[in-house]
Amino acid sequence: MGQVVVLGLISGGIYALFALGVVMVHRGTGVLTFANGEVGTAGLFLAALLVDGWEIPLPFMDNPTLPALPWPVGALAAVLFAAGLGCLFELLVVRRMGVSDPVAVAVATVGLALFLLAGEFQLFGESPKELAAPVDGTVEIAGVLVTPTQIAGLVLAIALGFGLQAVLRRTDFGLGILAAAQDPSAVRLVGVPLSRISLTVWGAGAALAAIASLLVEPTVGVFGPGYASELYVVGLAAAVVGGLNSLPGAVVGGVTLGIAESAATRYLSGIGLSGLRYVVVLVVLLAVLIGRQTIPDLLKRLDEQTGRPAEARA
Amino acid sequence: MSRPKVPGVLVALVLAAVLPWSLGAAVLSDKNALLCSAACATAIAAISLNMLMGYAGQISLGQFAFVGVGAFTTGVVTSVDQLRLPWVVGLAAAAVVGAAIAFLVGLPALRLRGLYLAVVTVSVAYVGWQSVFRVEWIGGGSAGKVTPRPYIGDSPISSDTGFLTIAAVLLVLVWQVDVNLTRSRLGRAFQAIRADDQVAASFGIDVVRYKLLAFTISGAIAGIAGSIIGTAFGTVTAGTFDYARSLLLVVIVVIGGLGSRWGVVTAAIFATLLPDLLVALFGAGIRGLDLVINAALLMYTLAQHPGGFAGAVEEAREKRKRRKGGEPPLPPTRPNLPALTRPVGMPPVPKLRARTAVLKATDVSVRFGGLQAVDSASLHVDRGTIVGLMGPNGAGKTTMFNAITGALTPDTGRIELLGVDVSHLPTHRRTALGMSRTFQLIGLAKNQSVYENLLIAQHLAAPYGVLSALTMVGPSRFYERDVRTRADEVLAGLGFGRYRDAQVGRLSHGQQRIVEIGCALVTSPELVMLDEPSAGMSPAAAEDLAATLRDVRDRLGRTVLLIEHNVPLVLDVADELYVMDAGKVIADGEPVEVVGRPEVVTAYLGVAPQKQEVNA
Amino acid sequence: MSQPLLQVEDITAGFGATTVLHGVSFTVPAGGIAGVFGLNGAGKSVTMKTLAGILPARSGRILLNGDDITKLSPEKRVARGMGHVPQGRQVFPQLTVEENLRLGAYTLRRRDKGRYAASLDSVYDRFPVLRQRRSQMAGTMSGGQQASLSVGRALINEPSLILIDEPSAGLSPVAQLELNEVLETVAETGVTMVLVEQNVAFGLSLVDTAHLMQTGVVVHSAPVAELDESTLATHLGIGKVLQAATGRALADRQSVPPQRSSSRAGRAS
Repeated sequence: MGQVVVLGLISGGIYALFALGVVMVHRGTGVLTFANGEVGTAGLFLAALLVDGWEIPLPFMDNPTLPALPWPVGALAAVLFAAGLGCLFELLVVRRMGVSDPVAVAVATVGLALFLLAGEFQLFGESPKELAAPVDGTVEIAGVLVTPTQIAGLVLAIALGFGLQAVLRRTDFGLGILAAAQDPSAVRLVGVPLSRISLTVWGAGAALAAIASLLVEPTVGVFGPGYASELYVVGLAAAVVGGLNSLPGAVVGGVTLGIAESAATRYLSGIGLSGLRYVVVLVVLLAVLIGRQTIPDLLKRLDEQTGRPAEARA
Repeated sequence: MSRPKVPGVLVALVLAAVLPWSLGAAVLSDKNALLCSAACATAIAAISLNMLMGYAGQISLGQFAFVGVGAFTTGVVTSVDQLRLPWVVGLAAAAVVGAAIAFLVGLPALRLRGLYLAVVTVSVAYVGWQSVFRVEWIGGGSAGKVTPRPYIGDSPISSDTGFLTIAAVLLVLVWQVDVNLTRSRLGRAFQAIRADDQVAASFGIDVVRYKLLAFTISGAIAGIAGSIIGTAFGTVTAGTFDYARSLLLVVIVVIGGLGSRWGVVTAAIFATLLPDLLVALFGAGIRGLDLVINAALLMYTLAQHPGGFAGAVEEAREKRKRRKGGEPPLPPTRPNLPALTRPVGMPPVPKLRARTAVLKATDVSVRFGGLQAVDSASLHVDRGTIVGLMGPNGAGKTTMFNAITGALTPDTGRIELLGVDVSHLPTHRRTALGMSRTFQLIGLAKNQSVYENLLIAQHLAAPYGVLSALTMVGPSRFYERDVRTRADEVLAGLGFGRYRDAQVGRLSHGQQRIVEIGCALVTSPELVMLDEPSAGMSPAAAEDLAATLRDVRDRLGRTVLLIEHNVPLVLDVADELYVMDAGKVIADGEPVEVVGRPEVVTAYLGVAPQKQEVNA
Repeated sequence: MSQPLLQVEDITAGFGATTVLHGVSFTVPAGGIAGVFGLNGAGKSVTMKTLAGILPARSGRILLNGDDITKLSPEKRVARGMGHVPQGRQVFPQLTVEENLRLGAYTLRRRDKGRYAASLDSVYDRFPVLRQRRSQMAGTMSGGQQASLSVGRALINEPSLILIDEPSAGLSPVAQLELNEVLETVAETGVTMVLVEQNVAFGLSLVDTAHLMQTGVVVHSAPVAELDESTLATHLGIGKVLQAATGRALADRQSVPPQRSSSRAGRAS
């Protein structure tokens, strides 16, 4: 039981970090992005190149080789690179789509995901790449060996989930981001540039995905094209489970899915089904989405039958 | 329009069957034939996704999961160490199982919209790829699933050229099914749902049923695509149907142009052949770049040409046409409505004596959260009259309409239509009884032509089954002739002949209103409910509208319930007037007299705040 | 008055294939309170959207303080002194009253952060209820209080022009009365206002000049004192039957000006 919880918390923290990025973008623009997993992977590739000592391929001259850089520098570069990708996508694609249907923007993010995935295959091939953990050593908690990066992932997820909102409330622009989800047109009418909010949240969402990818990668130690996308899909679901607009909700959603996954792995591994993670995601997602719509209906019908006025409940 | 299309299909079928054989190995090597089979399968998969996203407007980011279901089903059914059944059975099973799984995925989709559906379908893609397809007896484990080629007599079709014939014939058949679908009530129902659920229901379309049908038919077609892929390659693994494939399919459909059959098929074939084309042109180092190009194309398409390749071609063609012929003259705003009979496909409207109630709404109340939108309101509409419903913004008029049509369920109250208690019937059942409505914001499928909209509006007048729709044999032919004749009549009556194929969204607001009224009348319902028909019309057009409404009452003998802000218009045409304010009916009776009542004046113009008290 | 604060010159605008405004023109002098009236569909709210910059003008010019702002984004217009009390009030329900006000002062705080505290104080002085409820979530307040907040949120940015869109819509008679009081308070500050109203009687009680719209054009502009009931009825297109009622509202209004202007002058001194 303790093991299930610890393992669940560890993976849940990573899902939560991805989910926070999803919520940021949705809060600021009303759109879901399907690309940030691959944005995270792209960040990992950059970090790995820098940490290994990158031989920069340049045409018509000798390839200069960068000295091997320490992990934090590589990680910082990865996060900045990811943020840049997010901003670039906002500027070049989202902005040009004008006032558009959120589903169309979601489809455009599909294009970005595939673009990055195919680009990674093209540049790095299928063989797995290594990126060592920044800190060695493990701690044993409830019989589970836990690494410092894993703890960092969970702590960061919780801190960001519950702290980010407070931080945003302190600045005028952050307040504008929080208000944008509630009423985008009114945000413009008080003079906050909606386009800058959009740029910021696309950058922030991508950066969060890179952070999540960097913190989860040492658990296995190798990665390849598509690596973070396979985790990001759980983060997407976690954001939906958490209500899509709430940063703490994203953390709760991530941890819920993490624990559900580790419980399923522990107790259902006998049935011989691989990829239990995604089965759990689908089941929880459907239960939450359908339940959220059906339960209020049921309550209303119950009220009608017992003759209680609807307000009495509230 | 009723020109039989079969010869075209036959020619295509013969070509598909003969061409691969006759080209010979010099032109069509076995390797290229295999590639062409894959292109056919991708094209079929693209048709299946286009059906969901392009026609019915339901996003699916996991379509390749259904393709995988088809491939492995055929494998299980035909594999030598499993069921060992003939390939044709495997193909059929792929369609059936694909349809069944898609039906199951469609069930939650009934309640989910847009982005939520996208997340669910992504999860479905992952469950297929990572979980279900890795089950040993389904996906064959790491070795993969071996699917034998079909047999003719005792010998298998082992050559890739031979199998390409089958793939190409299937593509032609699926293409034709898709053609039939778009020409039938099925395709039109999908288009209406894509425009708006509520609008679709008002035309009598059972939204739940047709959404599920869209998923089911699309799943069956995706299953067929999978069956071809599995058989063509002989061995497939779970990895063949990974998430990236689903994404690529979305890319193909959007680049080709959502809703355009030839657009998506062209894009699918292009995308499948592109990798080898690039290699042939630039050498092996370039392999893999096709995906990068396609993905970049998608983002470019969405940012610059949302209509895709097909949309861009259409635009260019229209621009040329406009340069050549100029705009057609404006249609008249005073349509000459033809006397329409009730379609044979619909139940006859019960014979009522004049001045008996067509509509009786009693004590209807609707509450939205803390707002009492309609507060125990009652309406009584007599046969052969025009009844006006007036009131300031937010008075609850449109909510009352929605309660009458069944677009929302009132908290209390009883609705009686033509003597039948319809309080608990869904919208499409009420429509079938003889009711139609228009919407405050135009309720039409805006990216469809005027003619298509007139056909959509006759959904209930063409009651034939799914099979008849997809094959275009049997009752569908008869009913399609009937609804098309009727649409032509109304088109002529409206004076919209030259705008027959114009996209409704490109017409002016006033013109759209007239088309909408035409749609409301085309099935000759007893009660026509119009929500602010004069909104956005010029004063002259509004005068013509008054004459049109009188025509509906006097020449067509129908009953009209009218929400209208244009006071002179209401006073001009209405036999009786109801006024609502803050959810309540505050007055009803003879229009001119009602409008003069102090409470109506107050409701309509508001009261000046009592200055004395304010300043005191 | 040398130059009008707001000049609207022959604006056309619309959505897609539809043109809603067919050349709207009017001017508002500094310190003036202009009302734009018309029935549903006359183009009032489209006029408002075009003035705000949410909907682009297809032709024509809009001048604020003599500067052409026709091509500016809504945010830039706010930075240049345009304030908004949007339709339905549009306060941010999940932010507190004070956060709403802080967001309202977004461009002021960027221009001159030091002025914010004083500006906040003056809004609180004008609307004591907002000070009382400064940490309450805006969404939990009554309609009338939200109206005060919406007006306060516009005022705090020290605008030279406030656009008020259908303020009375959806408010109960009591809340309308409350709102009327609020707007009277704003009028006392001397800020220029443009008010769009379907509730003609309500609007007439506040403005000094009326611009009457019908099918996308301003068909008549006149000081309220010079309006008579038949002009009003004719130009609003509401027919003879409602004339009497409009006349009554007008008579009420025309009996008021001396009283109000004196009260205005009195409080200003």
